[in-house]
Amino acid sequence: MIKVAQISKSYQRKLVLDNISLEVPKGQIFGLLGPNGAGKTTLIRMLNQMLSPDAGQIYFEDQLLNEKHLQQIGYLPEERGLYKTMEVRAHLLFLAQLRGLSKQEASRHVDHWLVHFEIQDWKNKRIAALSKGMAQKVQFIAALVHQPKLLILDEPLSGFDPLNVELIMNEIKALKEKGTTIILSTHNMKSVDEICDHAALLHQGQLLALDSVIKLRQAHAKGRIFVRFKGNMLSFANALWTDFTLLEQKESTEGVFECILQLRGTSTVNDLMRSLQAQVAVEHLELLLPSMQEIFIDLITQKDKQHD
Amino acid sequence: MLVLGPLVLLLSLFAILKAADQGKQELKVLIADPGQIMGHRLMAQEEKNVHYYFLDDYLEIKEFDKAKAYQEFDVLVELNEKVLNNKKCFVFYRDQFSPDIRIQLKFQVEKRMEELIAAQHSSLTEAAFRQIKQGFIFDFRDIKDPKNEAKEANAWAGFVIGSFILFFVGLYGMTIFRATVREKSNRIVEVLLASIRPEQLMLSKIVGIGMVALLQLLGWALILTLGLLFLQQTVFLDIFDPSNWGQATPQRLNPLSSLVFEQLNLSFLFIHFLLFFIASFLFYGALFAVLGARSGADADGQQFLLPLIFLVAFGIFAGIYAVYYPNTTLSAVLSYLPFSSPVLAFITLAKGASIVDYTTILLSLLVLLACALILLKLAGRWYKQSILKF
Repeated sequence: MIKVAQISKSYQRKLVLDNISLEVPKGQIFGLLGPNGAGKTTLIRMLNQMLSPDAGQIYFEDQLLNEKHLQQIGYLPEERGLYKTMEVRAHLLFLAQLRGLSKQEASRHVDHWLVHFEIQDWKNKRIAALSKGMAQKVQFIAALVHQPKLLILDEPLSGFDPLNVELIMNEIKALKEKGTTIILSTHNMKSVDEICDHAALLHQGQLLALDSVIKLRQAHAKGRIFVRFKGNMLSFANALWTDFTLLEQKESTEGVFECILQLRGTSTVNDLMRSLQAQVAVEHLELLLPSMQEIFIDLITQKDKQHD
Repeated sequence: MLVLGPLVLLLSLFAILKAADQGKQELKVLIADPGQIMGHRLMAQEEKNVHYYFLDDYLEIKEFDKAKAYQEFDVLVELNEKVLNNKKCFVFYRDQFSPDIRIQLKFQVEKRMEELIAAQHSSLTEAAFRQIKQGFIFDFRDIKDPKNEAKEANAWAGFVIGSFILFFVGLYGMTIFRATVREKSNRIVEVLLASIRPEQLMLSKIVGIGMVALLQLLGWALILTLGLLFLQQTVFLDIFDPSNWGQATPQRLNPLSSLVFEQLNLSFLFIHFLLFFIASFLFYGALFAVLGARSGADADGQQFLLPLIFLVAFGIFAGIYAVYYPNTTLSAVLSYLPFSSPVLAFITLAKGASIVDYTTILLSLLVLLACALILLKLAGRWYKQSILKF
């Protein structure tokens, strides 16, 4: 859907994006991650053609990104604003028409979304009269009212209460189901674990990681294993011998234990299974994968150490 | 801005004062005094740069202008025998001279006259007389236009109309500025820029607000036209129209009403008003938009406005200068300068422009338009660079 090829950008001699290349697959949710100042907003602004790269190209459906594509892109910026004196419906109509919809189309789409988000009773109220959460919903509608093929959401969950976070998360999933490609820039790593298919991690203008979320988690797995078994804890510990380290243990029900182990040296999960087979009855065994939060922190910390 | 503001003001003041001081600094003044009232004498301290000569006879203006014998003189002061009673004298000049020398000349002649009046017609001392005296009127006129047909009143009327352009441009320019700052500070600009280019956003704002300004101007024009027509039909009747004979009122003789109803071609002026307004609005609108884009917040931006307000004020001061000194090189330059050309064009138009003058006005309009287009192009770039810096 989107291909970013060797993009670089500097502001006043400071390199903000350094030779970034990535691809956003069609119909997927792509997490654009990174600490503050990593270059995410700059990249997003380039996708929206607010900024031009100093070097490199961006492709939209295999075409060089151009002005025509703007109507197929929806954008919810992190710092959001609305005209406070305008009425909700009029404001949405204005933004929808700005995105290329005819007056009739805009009217139909706006009314649909107002009903969908249950704010139709507020359509004639001024923006200034809305609560923060309500205004956030209006902004969310404004980003997708023209049914874009690509939806760029910069911190879409910030400012929402837990109920509305759930609502927005479900909406994002539903949009994906309908075929919309979504770029999600967020610091909410739980949401990345939950809904993102792919992710890219930017730090100081450089791309630290890029892959599908599952592959990233597998690649950064630290050899930790969860085991639930029925039997004797002493026999279990003896079976581990020197190839595995017992990190945590607890008895969940009588005679049933749950443990977390760490693989050591060249030992594998198969080695573990063989060792345990004769000693205890294994009910569940699972290779523990790190969360995106852990991967994020690890990679950034490593990079900063290298830099120092 | 704390330092830059007063500095710009100081420089502007210096430029204005310097400009007002323009004109000949040393001149020869011939005083035609057929009654020998002054007795070939002036006050004791004669200024070094003004030299006075006396002629004990009448002198025709044309003779002073053309005759070889008088070419060395720059100024003719005409004192007739009644000058001590009517207290008015005419001063004819070949070229404009500085206000400073005007004051010197008035001082010399007036003080000598007062001396004479006090001595000949009163038992008062000269000092006591000065306390109760009436001022002398000095009527300064161009030797090429001795009857003052250059229509100073018309020039002032043109100045007022031209200043209105700058006033409206300033007023609506502020609206552009505030709208840009508001969009930037509440961050909706980022949503807008995801749909349109910054240059489009800037231009649409200038054009949109310009249309509102034009609409208001047209409203004003309509109301004023109807009002003037009503006044023409009721209060200021045309005394030359036989149907109004017997009803004519003294108001018709009022020089201001005569200026408005007879001397100014209002519809002609209005068309030019629109043209100059559009060009000036594009020119200044681009500057206001850029300043808005560079400002972080409304209060923060006020300081950036000062230089722009000075520029608008400069246009008005330039107009005042051009009313007094219409034929100087500086006035010619100011008539092409985009900041002042609207005011100067209307001063000329209101006086009744010749073909040459009108060509200058059209050229100045073209220069203003060209500058506006260049500035819009540059402003688009500056706007783009600034608008996303929060």
